[in-house]
Amino acid sequence: MTNGTAIPDLFENLRLELRRGCLIVAVLAQLRSEQYGYTLRKALADDGLAIDEGTLYPLLRRLETQGLLVSQWREEEKRNKRFYRLSSAGELILAQLLDEWKNINASLDRILQEA
Amino acid sequence: MNNSSKKTPTELRERYLQAVRFWLPKAHQDDILPELSEDLRSQIEEKETELVRPLDEAEMAAILKRCGSPIVVASRFQSQQYLIGPAFFPVYKFVLKMVLLWILIPVFTFIITPVNLVNTGGNWGLTVARTLGALWTGGFIAAGVITLVFAVLERTQLQLGLADKWDPRSLPPVLKPEQRASQRKTICELAFAFIGLLWILLVPTFPVLILGPAASFLKPVPIWHTFYLPLVLLATASVIRAWIGLVKPQWTWFLPVTQVLTTVVTMLLLRSIIAAAVHAAKAGSPAFVVLADPAAASAELRRVAAIVNASIFLSLPAAWLGLSIAAVIQSWELVRHFRKRGFVALQVLASGKKLFF
Repeated sequence: MTNGTAIPDLFENLRLELRRGCLIVAVLAQLRSEQYGYTLRKALADDGLAIDEGTLYPLLRRLETQGLLVSQWREEEKRNKRFYRLSSAGELILAQLLDEWKNINASLDRILQEA
Repeated sequence: MNNSSKKTPTELRERYLQAVRFWLPKAHQDDILPELSEDLRSQIEEKETELVRPLDEAEMAAILKRCGSPIVVASRFQSQQYLIGPAFFPVYKFVLKMVLLWILIPVFTFIITPVNLVNTGGNWGLTVARTLGALWTGGFIAAGVITLVFAVLERTQLQLGLADKWDPRSLPPVLKPEQRASQRKTICELAFAFIGLLWILLVPTFPVLILGPAASFLKPVPIWHTFYLPLVLLATASVIRAWIGLVKPQWTWFLPVTQVLTTVVTMLLLRSIIAAAVHAAKAGSPAFVVLADPAAASAELRRVAAIVNASIFLSLPAAWLGLSIAAVIQSWELVRHFRKRGFVALQVLASGKKLFF
């Protein structure tokens, strides 16, 4: 492998790593109001955080298993859809994660200013 | 014929979902698939609204292709699975390397090959083929057993939470560069001690390992029955010694001290064997080997038996002499080791620091 291909690959890997945690916060924040998978994906993409279905649905399942989301199958426009929303535990965790996010942001700002 | 030709876009979508279902965990298939299906339908509807017409096969294929291959999509719903996790993997790799490279290959090279050579009547081609065949099988079995043991350890560790039950204070002290070099030496010693033990254990079943082709007409005299157990114990002690040296590198005194002890014990054992052989020779009996079937033995075979006895008889005092020289050198090194250690201890005491070995 040459450096020419290694650096974009490395950037992509690091970008995905950086995004992973942010996506969880974004999904939890977006589900403060009830949505089903497809509209959630659209909403995230409209706000600049596109996420493919192969990543979103396993993440939703995991967050639901962890008790941060609750879901419900319901009929809408004659089609069965699974609606998700934040649970009370999810609300608490989201608040903590947002605090952490702000701290990290502030720390990074300070580090960058020092540099 | 291409399966995808002449299929409607809807059929293509159903085929895709069916393929995803196949790879999904059985217990969750009925829960996951309707959701994925619903998402796909929404994507298709949106595209059709944009184009103001139904999608054709190529457009449908493009959407499915973007979603990812069925096996990849389904795999994301599986919990992370591995046989041997990152905590055990380095140890697993070390043990595997140790067994395959340092034990299996030397055993096959120095023990199994000579046995096969005799069994095939000196046919080198057949010997190499047989040995490689057996090595291949043995390697697979060894690797399989080691993998299985580590897989079990991995599961038990997860259940017992062993990864958390450790104490930084129980970690071995930092090794100096010269200690690292001696650790490699100890690994070699352990491997060769193990091969030696195996060799001694196999000799009664395969006398060819000690007598070579002469094993077909010679057999050891009963004197060996007396000395066999001490020899096995000595070989076992060598394995244990090397193992302790490897796991306790901070016991810098251990290997030099036990080296001298092992040499002295070997010399004593050798001296007893020589004394027993001299006694047998005085009584006019063969010292080490006799003909398996004296009645049927030719004059030439008798001559070979006499040569073997004489050779062993001469080699034992030579070995004893070699060991004596080794004992002197080892004792000198031991003295140097303790003098150096004593000097370091004095320096530490002089600097007022706590003495710690």
